[in-house]
Amino acid sequence: MFDNFDLMVDAMGQGLWVTIWVTTVSFIVALIIGALLAMMHVSPAPPARWVATAYTGLFKNVPLLAILFILYFGFPKIGIVLPSWQWAIIGLGTYTAAFVGETLRSGINSIDLGQAEAARSIGLTFGQSLRHIILPQAFRTVIPPLGSLLTALVKNSSLVLVIGVPELSAQAQRLINDNQDRFDLWAVILGVAACYLIVNLPISYFIRRAERRAEFAR
Amino acid sequence: MSRSPKSSVLFDALGPRGQARARNASIGSGIVFAALLALAAVQLADQGFFEQSRWVNPLDILIIENAWLPALMSTLKAAVLGSIGALLLGVIVGMGRVSRFKAIRGVASVYVQFFRAMPLLLLIWIPFTIDGAFGATLSMGLDAEGRRLTFLVLGLAVYNGAVLAEILRSGINALPPGQAMAGHAIGLRHGQTMRLVVLPQAVRNMLPAVLAQLVILLKDTALGYVITYPDLLHDAETIGRNYADSFLQVLIIAAFVYFVLAWGLSKIVTLVERKTSRKVAKGAAKVAPSIPLEAGAPGTSAKP
Repeated sequence: MFDNFDLMVDAMGQGLWVTIWVTTVSFIVALIIGALLAMMHVSPAPPARWVATAYTGLFKNVPLLAILFILYFGFPKIGIVLPSWQWAIIGLGTYTAAFVGETLRSGINSIDLGQAEAARSIGLTFGQSLRHIILPQAFRTVIPPLGSLLTALVKNSSLVLVIGVPELSAQAQRLINDNQDRFDLWAVILGVAACYLIVNLPISYFIRRAERRAEFAR
Repeated sequence: MSRSPKSSVLFDALGPRGQARARNASIGSGIVFAALLALAAVQLADQGFFEQSRWVNPLDILIIENAWLPALMSTLKAAVLGSIGALLLGVIVGMGRVSRFKAIRGVASVYVQFFRAMPLLLLIWIPFTIDGAFGATLSMGLDAEGRRLTFLVLGLAVYNGAVLAEILRSGINALPPGQAMAGHAIGLRHGQTMRLVVLPQAVRNMLPAVLAQLVILLKDTALGYVITYPDLLHDAETIGRNYADSFLQVLIIAAFVYFVLAWGLSKIVTLVERKTSRKVAKGAAKVAPSIPLEAGAPGTSAKP
């Protein structure tokens, strides 16, 4: 047992690094597309709202795995070939963007219209009311759900193993398939569980802190 | 949800000039979006994406009967069994989360924290593989497909049970404490207060969030793919391998079926949401501003 402990730690470390990297890049992509979607949702131009609604409905109701399959296995059939890590980021990013868009929109909508009216009636300009009154409140309501989206994305990033990205779950899968020794199996399982906890528990801790702060501030 | 360009927190009500500008913007953006769609369609047509045979061949009546329908049934079976298991576990763990006894609260909280942090894919794949490596002790007497179904349902139930427990707990915590106090004051025991006063209100308040989570569970049955459970996505891939020319088309058809199922279910959720929001008394039982929903579903925002 454990003759290849160093190898195991090495593989897990690499996997953890890929997971963090893929998650971070896809979350940035999701935030950018999600912000665009939220703007389109509240836009006065109906076509923009239709497109945003169609996008959100589509990506919220199709399994992420099916999206990844269509991108990685399907798109080469119509001549679009990209390496698997790029499809992984596109898939995770576009999927999460639908949820980010909804979160941002409901965060802005949760601000009482009276707040904006009060700001305008004490003489703030539109920009000032946005900067000093609306956005700070919207930001505060939006941070906790965005945090849960981030933990969901960390977990969802495990799906990209089916298209061959060597992230944490893929490494665990490989190690478990390679080692038939029982003790090694448990070591790998504990290791991968610990890695996901190390990434996700701090995020949920900060979410809870942000939630409590938002409650006090109300 | 303001659908018309009326006043909202982000916009002032538009004057005549603003309305004209909005009209121009909508015409312009409409043209842009239509042009983009047309461009994509032309590109796809160039690649033979719309060739009729590619769509019709994998939808032959024989294949529908022998592959699509059984796959749909296995997806639904896993979803229904997984939902039942998740609801049972969710209620048990959720009650544990608000138990009077510190030890029970601790165990339930560790369960929730742990399983909500794990990817569902691993929760399905690892038990299945370990069980195989140890000689199928957990699933004795089951055939191969029964084994796969068991472990898919187990993973779905364990994971979503943790999420549902958290939803239930936030529903209970969102109730005004006076409800439980009133229950005690009229002489109900703790269990009775829970059963008769607290739980019915909490469940009713959180019903939309619970149903939304079950829609996610339905989508997550696609993860059965990693243990080769013959669900919709898995069978679609097999069909696609047999009709190599229509591989993309087959995947899109499968995605469309998922879309119809999940979208239909979420329509029911919105109906329920509207019904329950009418029943809840004003001022009572407002739900916390952000329910920590997992797997990317913060859609249910309760307005404070």
